[in-house]
Amino acid sequence: MDHKDLRELIDLISKSNFATFELEREGFRLKLVKNEAASGSQGVAPRLEPAAPAAPKAPDAAAGAGDAAPAGNGLVDVASPIVGTFYEAPSPDAAPFVTVGAAVRKGQVLCIVEAMKLMNEIESEIDAEVVEILASNGQPVEFGEILFKLRPA
Amino acid sequence: MFRKILIANRGEIALRIIWACRELGIRTVAVHSTADSDSLHVKFADEEVCIGPPHNKDSYLNVSAVISAAEITGAEAIHPGYGFLAESAHFAEVTRECGLTFIGPDPDVIRKMGEKAQARRTMQVAGVPILPGSDGLVADTDAARAVADEIGYPVLIKAAAGGGGRGMRVVEREADLESAMGSARAEAGSSFGVADVYLEKFLANPRHVEFQVLGDTHGNLVHLFERECSIQRRHQKLVEESPSTALDDALRGRMADAALVAAKAVNYVNAGTIEFLLSGDEFFFIEMNTRIQVEHPVTEMVTGLDLIKEQIRIAAGEPISFTQQDIVSRGHAIECRINAEDPDTHVPCPGRIHAFHLPGGPGVRVDTACYAEAVVPPYYDSMIAKVIAHGNTRGEAILRMRRALESFVVEGIKTNVPLQQRIVADEDFVRGRISTGFLDRFRPPAKKAIATTGS
Repeated sequence: MDHKDLRELIDLISKSNFATFELEREGFRLKLVKNEAASGSQGVAPRLEPAAPAAPKAPDAAAGAGDAAPAGNGLVDVASPIVGTFYEAPSPDAAPFVTVGAAVRKGQVLCIVEAMKLMNEIESEIDAEVVEILASNGQPVEFGEILFKLRPA
Repeated sequence: MFRKILIANRGEIALRIIWACRELGIRTVAVHSTADSDSLHVKFADEEVCIGPPHNKDSYLNVSAVISAAEITGAEAIHPGYGFLAESAHFAEVTRECGLTFIGPDPDVIRKMGEKAQARRTMQVAGVPILPGSDGLVADTDAARAVADEIGYPVLIKAAAGGGGRGMRVVEREADLESAMGSARAEAGSSFGVADVYLEKFLANPRHVEFQVLGDTHGNLVHLFERECSIQRRHQKLVEESPSTALDDALRGRMADAALVAAKAVNYVNAGTIEFLLSGDEFFFIEMNTRIQVEHPVTEMVTGLDLIKEQIRIAAGEPISFTQQDIVSRGHAIECRINAEDPDTHVPCPGRIHAFHLPGGPGVRVDTACYAEAVVPPYYDSMIAKVIAHGNTRGEAILRMRRALESFVVEGIKTNVPLQQRIVADEDFVRGRISTGFLDRFRPPAKKAIATTGS
């Protein structure tokens, strides 16, 4: 069962009336239990995409292989699209683009990642609130490295 | 000497470069796509930087991502390996402009030898024998016809910006010329971005014999003998060996001299290879490769020298650590390339490797970045390992290769090990009766199993 199949299955079961679902095949076992009390979803968070905001009745998925990195609590990750150096402000003496708690609009600049003397502005793709800033000013970042966690507005 | 080198490559060659750096006390930076996050070169490097998503153009061919990774890690030099950006004059130039050392020849030499029609002309002026052919590019069918009438059919249309057998068409007779020109130009355009083609006389079943050279910035230039790479499928090398059974000392001497003349003509610095086609005892320059090659271990096994360490030393401004007199070829070495593909249909077979056991013992070397539970991704070329066998004689090298292939266990994906086993068991191969037409004889095996042990 590949990643895509697994997500489709989880989606199907979460939309159904089943409270529990178990599947066992050679070398693989999956158990899904709907947890009404969960406030967020826990599932495999692909490194490169924003984690999807949770539906209230999302199931807990315990996959047979691999570790799940919880996206947690409906937050969206902003990953660096390039390799370079993270800068929080447009210039050394200017105020940072955003701070924790700030409200951002879709298209608003969150930071700069400098690569080969070119300043690349990284924009938010959604209206959101900045919950966490994971990179520090002047820090080298790689492709896919998570820079911000945003809560969608 | 450099303190830190970034390796702009992946797979077995990235690991090979890391080993050389380790021995030289140089710290290493691995760059990788997201598909290679669990790769061995990433695990063994001192530092790693993810530079992009799986596809080549976004990662391993992404010049700004690679340079940026060098900048943020403080690497002083970049080793490009083979393939990818190794023969990109543009990448070599950008590397230099950013204050980093490119471990390879000068960008203008890369450019000069990278344009194949121009390379031919440079060699002709230098007095290196070349195949009869067009004087530069042929713009259209009429121009091609004029050249073909002069040199005689069959002719070979070749992409000027190309390599790897793409953008090449054999034309047996005039009637086929027009359509061959059309398809060669189209393939050249889509593979290399430039539709330019030139013409050469086509030799039927020549032998491919290439010479390894090394040049430094102190005016030293040496050759490290030849490798025969005649066993190819669609111009992709499968088996390489040294020495070539086709060369006696006199012919070897003449070809080595020509290789040095060729390298001297462009004041070559760092590692390079001069490729010749051999027909009887006549040889002709076809290409110069301005990079380290896949099959470099063959030369390392017969000479006992480390070509990657020499590349790094040369790039750091040191002289080559030996003279021509010091270079001696001992015994015989054969390399078999192991690809993740169906051994009969050659369809690539990416996937997860479950069992992985490498051969060893006397005279056996394996260069690989695979391991048990590693995933061979679908985005890159299918070569997963090189098995090299060395013996005191060619016969011993063949026996060692046979037992190495028998004990090479790969489960979970298909490999061309069974095809390699058939090649090294073949009577013509054993007798040294090989040419570029060798593999045409091999067809899918009958249902009856060929007697092998293991696998």
